Amino acid sequence: MKRKFALLLIGALTAFGLAACGGSDSDSDQAADGDAAKGGGTIAIITVDPSNPYWKAEVDTAVAEAEKLGYDTTVDAHGNDPDKQNQFIDGAISKKVVAIILDPAGADESIGAVKKATDAGIPVFLVNAEISEQGIAKAQIVSNNAQGATLGAQAWAEAVGGKGEYVELFGNPTDNNAQVRSDGYAGVLSQFPDLKLVQTETANWDRAQGKEKMEILLSAHPNIVGVVSGNDEMALGAIQALKDAGKLDQVKVLGFDGNDDAVAAVKAGEMVATVLQPIVTGTTLAVQYADDYIKNGTEPETEKQAIDCVLINADNADKLNGFVLSE
Amino acid sequence: MSPTETTAAPRGRKLNLNALMVEGRALVALVIIVAVFSALSPNFLNPDNLILMTRHVALNAILAIGMLLVILNGGIDLSVGSSVGLSGVVAGYLLQGANVPGTDQVAYPPVWVVIIIALMVGCLVGWLNGVLVAYLNVAPFIATLGMLYVARGLALLITNGETFTRLSGDKELGNTGFLTVLASDPFGIPFPVWVMVVFALIFSVILNKTPFGRWLYATGGNERAAELSGVPIKRIKVTIYLLAGMCAATVGLLLTADLPAATPKGGELYELNAIAAVVIGGAALSGGRGTIRGTMIGAFVIGFLVDGLVLVGVSVFWQQVVKGAVIILAVAVDQIQQSIQKSRAIRTAAALPPTTDAPTEEMVGV
Repeated sequence: MKRKFALLLIGALTAFGLAACGGSDSDSDQAADGDAAKGGGTIAIITVDPSNPYWKAEVDTAVAEAEKLGYDTTVDAHGNDPDKQNQFIDGAISKKVVAIILDPAGADESIGAVKKATDAGIPVFLVNAEISEQGIAKAQIVSNNAQGATLGAQAWAEAVGGKGEYVELFGNPTDNNAQVRSDGYAGVLSQFPDLKLVQTETANWDRAQGKEKMEILLSAHPNIVGVVSGNDEMALGAIQALKDAGKLDQVKVLGFDGNDDAVAAVKAGEMVATVLQPIVTGTTLAVQYADDYIKNGTEPETEKQAIDCVLINADNADKLNGFVLSE
Repeated sequence: MSPTETTAAPRGRKLNLNALMVEGRALVALVIIVAVFSALSPNFLNPDNLILMTRHVALNAILAIGMLLVILNGGIDLSVGSSVGLSGVVAGYLLQGANVPGTDQVAYPPVWVVIIIALMVGCLVGWLNGVLVAYLNVAPFIATLGMLYVARGLALLITNGETFTRLSGDKELGNTGFLTVLASDPFGIPFPVWVMVVFALIFSVILNKTPFGRWLYATGGNERAAELSGVPIKRIKVTIYLLAGMCAATVGLLLTADLPAATPKGGELYELNAIAAVVIGGAALSGGRGTIRGTMIGAFVIGFLVDGLVLVGVSVFWQQVVKGAVIILAVAVDQIQQSIQKSRAIRTAAALPPTTDAPTEEMVGV
């Protein structure tokens, strides 16, 4: 129920774009249900875009963990818009929340927002993405995108036999992670002299755009042997384009994120591999750090922590469910 | 009284000439685009690639047809992209199995019911736009901007932020066929292209041969005058927004079947491409001027340009710059052409003695 309500609120917020009006009111009614020690105060969770399964997992994890530890939560989504992020931070400050879990909108753009909250005495814990200054946020827990991209690229290169022309689908160009992953791929793949990147196109993390771009790329380069994609959604679009063109046997696809649809594609043999971002682990850790700081005043030993990604291929796809890998 | 005679007699030719010049410009742009890209890429004119690009064009063209109706009235519909997403999501939700409210049962409606409901959702969004604009006098830009957010939010609410992918239906449940029909290629031509052709023909007839069409042009030309001469302007407004919503829902269904997945983000920013197609096709945003033919050409200009830039491997950032420049150029040329025509017409009219029966006047066009 609670989760549904929080998501309803996100939907309504997105719907009306009323970010400015400090729309983070989802806490009050949630405090009513459950007798668990809810005296802990409110943790503000600010994410990017819950219509993407990856960020949805992030929100769900944060809300569940915070409530387990006895806090109320508010959830907002800034859609990578630093202005909106600022408004949510202002809202959180005026509501006197006890901590903020933030997936920042840009490494440079978010410094000011984090500083503002910290100056107001509210600890900020960053998840998923980092800011380019240290010593302001209490923790920055990111998944190691570079390491993940390296893992994925190695598995993919092996699948194509280290030879042939390939194309790359690039994420939203303003998103730091798009470049990090692309560099990670290039770092591995440039070592294969027979692998040739013939074109890079952006599809903005989006499935429909991934399909459309892939269709044209197939027209331009009919003989490619593979596609490396910056995330799963674009890869899934590319897979559909390849299916329509009857070329899925010839072209190997690599994804990134480990979302449920992608895992299903890996199981079905349509996607060579994807890379699981440990978003659930990272977010849980961030909330636990926040809890520790609030209750005991202990700060995490190291501010910046990179959690390693896990390669998901046909061998372990069965064990993955909702971004969690069971042992 | 002779000037009235001169204008009255060659009227048919005059209109055609005018229309031809307006569309001619878009057509020239299209020819240039095709020529440039086919020179740069050997694959551009490959029949498979042409069919592929036309399929990409089709979705935007269908949206643009609805947009044209609204723009002919002097309005604008910013909500169509969100309607695409909402209707697609509704279709996806019904195909996955919809909970019957108040019971534990799950309904699996047959595909034709799904399609009709999804279309009705689009019509409903459009109807609301129309009522807001016609009866509550909300400016079209504001009414449809609001609806853009409302419809997108509803799509997110329905999906709970997730993507529906089980759309093929189940034989035992009797709801198969959504993908096999909407994503099929009858006679080697993709289904969306057929829909585009049918829509273009139907709306072309409606605009040119029916009282509704004449009324629509009249309301866009001079709303007050149209109202005084008995044109039901409020009803017309509601109808055009409703039709724009229906076009959007059609696109939503086609997009969902094409992917195949119903995502709440489907159709984001599609409204802008539709507006661009209409404007490149020679329509005036102030209303009263524009044709289906022009709009179709406009949609092809945008679609071929976008795909062509990818095909020849132009960098992502330049793609956007070029696309924007083409839109501005097309409209700027249109404006220059208009003002030259106008001033020439005025000059000719002023220079002519009232009695002269000048054959040149008709060539100028008004």
